[in-house]
Amino acid sequence: MTGLRIALRVEAMAWRRSTVQHLATPLLVLLVPLASVGLTALARSGAVGGAGAAKLADYATGDLATTHLVLAGQVLSVAVLIAGGFAVAATFGQPLADGRAGAYFGLATPRGTLALARGLVLLGWVAACVVAAVALTVGASAAVAATASTPFGPTAWAAAGRALVAGLLAAGLALPFAAVATATRSPLATVGALIGVVALTQVVVLVGAGAWFPYAVPSLWTGTGGPEAAADVGGAALAITAAVAPVGAALVVVQWRRLTDV
Amino acid sequence: MDSALLLDDVHHVFGGHRRGARPALSGLSLAVAPGEVVAMIGLNGTGKTTALRVLTGRLRPTAGSARVLGNDPARLPVGAARRFGHVVGAALVDPALTVTENLRVAAELHGVAGAAAGGATSAVIERLDLLPWAHTRARALSLGNAQRLGVACAVVHSPAALVLDEPTSALDPRGVVLVRELVRERAAAGAAVLVSSHHLDEVARVADRVLAVHGGRVVGSLDPGGAALERNFFDLVLAADTAGARSPGAASMPTGRVA
Repeated sequence: MTGLRIALRVEAMAWRRSTVQHLATPLLVLLVPLASVGLTALARSGAVGGAGAAKLADYATGDLATTHLVLAGQVLSVAVLIAGGFAVAATFGQPLADGRAGAYFGLATPRGTLALARGLVLLGWVAACVVAAVALTVGASAAVAATASTPFGPTAWAAAGRALVAGLLAAGLALPFAAVATATRSPLATVGALIGVVALTQVVVLVGAGAWFPYAVPSLWTGTGGPEAAADVGGAALAITAAVAPVGAALVVVQWRRLTDV
Repeated sequence: MDSALLLDDVHHVFGGHRRGARPALSGLSLAVAPGEVVAMIGLNGTGKTTALRVLTGRLRPTAGSARVLGNDPARLPVGAARRFGHVVGAALVDPALTVTENLRVAAELHGVAGAAAGGATSAVIERLDLLPWAHTRARALSLGNAQRLGVACAVVHSPAALVLDEPTSALDPRGVVLVRELVRERAAAGAAVLVSSHHLDEVARVADRVLAVHGGRVVGSLDPGGAALERNFFDLVLAADTAGARSPGAASMPTGRVA
């Protein structure tokens, strides 16, 4: 347990100082409220016509605050996976690519413990970003709603809760890419795999199997595919999606314990 | 006396049984006792770094065994890991952290707890004269200072067994002297130290024994105090090449053949 505590402190310090964290945190935390409030305003302004108007049609009507928070959930479920995937690619893939991982051998803190701590720190960071992004969106939405003299009611709070859960589920979906980074020993290959999974998710949703595909679940559950698709996502699918993070963490810990030829 | 660092008849082939498989070690054996500094010298590509990777647990050999303080380095128990330090290739250094932070992290990961980690950090900063860069991020250091930091991270916990691959390759003359003195101090404190180097003058000053590595194995030992270290080294290499050319199947070993 002492080893894990040390590893968590060391990994947290390293992640706090990393360039990837410095870039990703403001992007993730600020993009979500800006996109949610901005796109809703754009949809209701009548300034967008043609295909753009059709895309934004779902956000042009309905309770203002609820629309903000629904949109926040939809943006979060994709943005968190991308940001988390990049973070995992950098933190697990780069030391293996540049040889620094060789220095993790023969330490009093075992490599598996370091890998677990690295995954937990990243998970904690993404979760904190999700909470901050939802909180900022709630604040921005409440301010806009007050200006427009519309209520920030229970449906808005429910959408905020769903956005929070969807964001946390998406955060966990990034962890298996640590295993990809370890297997490929390449951050670029990991990003390639991330893009591949996002593309595969589109195909799975198109053929109608998205409600059971973990990488589609957060997005569908927040209404990206419409209300019917959201209703198709049940508790079992959410539980399977939530299980991806511990499975990914366990996999990368085993991989790091067995590392060789580094 | 038991060896603190041991490689026993280690063979390794990169690529296994596939076409283009490349033999790197061919029965390399060496032992380093506590309080002793042993230097490995050899030409490029003759197996020195591969041997050190086996000894630090980073590479499982095709055959043979490695021991660090009596343990398999690939599964080093915590108690032994607290007494082991190494720099082979990239050091335990995060470019985003400062010199002080890196040393503190290295101390903690090597098992030095709490306030003792702070004390060990300060001591090694002073010992390797890193104080002017104590709050500089590692990525901003010159190559030489970065190498000194890497060595500092490997010794911050005062290890009883130490493996250093080319520890002075990027250092200025003052840095070379600092690392040489540090290595001798560790040995005087009872540590077993294995150093690999291309620099014959340097190993002559730091080592108690010098092993010549060629064709993936130790081909002889040299007296570090001898007057003609370079001449004797090349004689050993030439003798190994000549013997290798006579023996069937030797052509596949990389020998870095001397003209």
